[in-house]
Amino acid sequence: MPLIRRDPSGASAPKLEGDAVTQLSDANPDVRWKAARALGKQPDAVPALAAALHTETLPQVREAIFTSLVLIRTDASARAAAEFVRSEDAALRSGALDALAAMPDVVERILSSLLQDADSDVRILSCDLARTVPGDVATRLLGALLQAEAEPNVCGAAVEVLAEVGTADAIGPLTACKARFPGEAFLGFAIDDAIERVGAERLDMNG
Amino acid sequence: MAKRILVVDDARLIRSFYRSILEKEGYEIDEALNGLEALEKLLVVPVDLLIVDINMPKMDGLTFLRTLRRGEAPISAIPALMTSTEAKDSDKENARAAGANFYMVKPIKADALVEHVNLLAGRRA
Amino acid sequence: MGDREPPSISEDEFARLCDFFYRRTGMIFTEAKRYYIERRVFERMLATDSATFAQYFARLRMDLDSEIEEIINAFTVNETYFYREDHQFHCLTTDLLRLRAAQKAPGEAIRIWSVPCSTGEEPYSIAMWLLENWPEVDKHDIEILGSDIDTRALNAAREGLYGARALSRLTPDLIDRYFEKAGEETWQAAQELRESVAFSPVNLIVNAETRAQGVFDVIFCRNVLIYFNDESRRVAAENLFECLKPGGFICLGHTESMSRISPLFEVRRYADAIVYQRPSGKPEEAPRG
Repeated sequence: MPLIRRDPSGASAPKLEGDAVTQLSDANPDVRWKAARALGKQPDAVPALAAALHTETLPQVREAIFTSLVLIRTDASARAAAEFVRSEDAALRSGALDALAAMPDVVERILSSLLQDADSDVRILSCDLARTVPGDVATRLLGALLQAEAEPNVCGAAVEVLAEVGTADAIGPLTACKARFPGEAFLGFAIDDAIERVGAERLDMNG
Repeated sequence: MAKRILVVDDARLIRSFYRSILEKEGYEIDEALNGLEALEKLLVVPVDLLIVDINMPKMDGLTFLRTLRRGEAPISAIPALMTSTEAKDSDKENARAAGANFYMVKPIKADALVEHVNLLAGRRA
Repeated sequence: MGDREPPSISEDEFARLCDFFYRRTGMIFTEAKRYYIERRVFERMLATDSATFAQYFARLRMDLDSEIEEIINAFTVNETYFYREDHQFHCLTTDLLRLRAAQKAPGEAIRIWSVPCSTGEEPYSIAMWLLENWPEVDKHDIEILGSDIDTRALNAAREGLYGARALSRLTPDLIDRYFEKAGEETWQAAQELRESVAFSPVNLIVNAETRAQGVFDVIFCRNVLIYFNDESRRVAAENLFECLKPGGFICLGHTESMSRISPLFEVRRYADAIVYQRPSGKPEEAPRG
């Protein structure tokens, strides 16, 4: 029998030596990866993790940093991740969204302010996060956005999410939004679709 | 044989909007929700043209295109139209650098979409 | 309860369900499996007393009474048996091991990890498959480790007792050579086979535990990440990444897609299977600034 059993317990566990925060900027990517992972239980490491995201270029280390922000799971760690939703770097924007989606309870607390961000790109991407919160909360927050939002692309993003998770309470804001943008064919198409979906849900629930 | 387009966008309605327009033009449509899923799809389905959004979870459109262009022929050479809601100047430049053949800003008008898709798919308008 | 007609699920509803499943679990269902999926959904609707699909879907989205786990169970064949999903074993011996062996220093072991291994069918299948199908098997030092969070399953795995169902995909000749009759309808994995596989308890989301297993060339991690929430999935993916040699491979279950799970790995297609690879390039970049 050529297959040989070997006791795996002798395998060496790599140890993190020294200060993980300092090691976030080490020249060796393995050290940076381990440092990023080691900080996942330290709320006071949030500023250091956020700073590291500004300089880190290696995708897997970025991923590990975002995961540590997820594991810390405070308003501060969520806001630190949310800052990268406005990054010039599309990969960081995606990474930030994935991280925020993994902490829905915290997102629920900061979503309202994200949806009012001055940057319309941030508002668009934040709509997507509403998918992770309960349907009635998403309906309330996105419904409020639809009443006032000036940018049709942002409305489109909100409508998309409402079609997926919204309740029948979204019908009013959806209808009003359609009336505000008579020239936007795609938005009208999306709103009709969303109304049909959230409306069908109401009929089904009662019937 | 009908040309096949892979639409890579996390927004369901955008995907179905492109589908409804482009199927009328005789294209076959396949969908993926992000760049990683698109890379998986491309390994199993032959595709003639890509429509790729820039902002997507898991793998954004730029990273997807860079990965694709670095990869093996013939998949690496599939023409790609990149879409974005972004007004950011950097995105257009980055899209070209990543290997996008064309860049369109959302919301996208049906006739403009058809025109550019026909062009990239090598079809006479 | 048998007299209710199956409810109809519209195209839109089916698409929404598939989208939800993909986003939440990474499972991909194709239109071809629609009938199968509808049957499972209908069973869950009956079990939860949901009058309509919309009602059921609302329950699923809110994960009431762990409904997500319930329906994953309904979709996943929990029964495990020898040579299950053997296209991945074909892939292992035609492509993956050849590529990994080429990277080895003389005498360096090739390590394969089956996690979760449940009661041992998968790691024993791998051992048998290599002995039967990999001509180079004698040239290499091969270690196979099976791990699971469930220590009772591990004890059963070490004991290696199996019924006829677990062996149903094996030819009589294979059963003859790798098992011993242990009862009327029971067979025990032969001592040589049992000694070819090591077992260890492991929780995939505890880094200290996964690190202690060492680094592998190929990991089989089927039908478990679908059960995790986003946070656990990120941690598990990073733990698996650490447990793979650069250039090493990971095989998921056939309905699972890494594209929902993690961007850490690169997708690779070989003749028999789609697998994921830890990028092999030396991580060269230092942080800027």
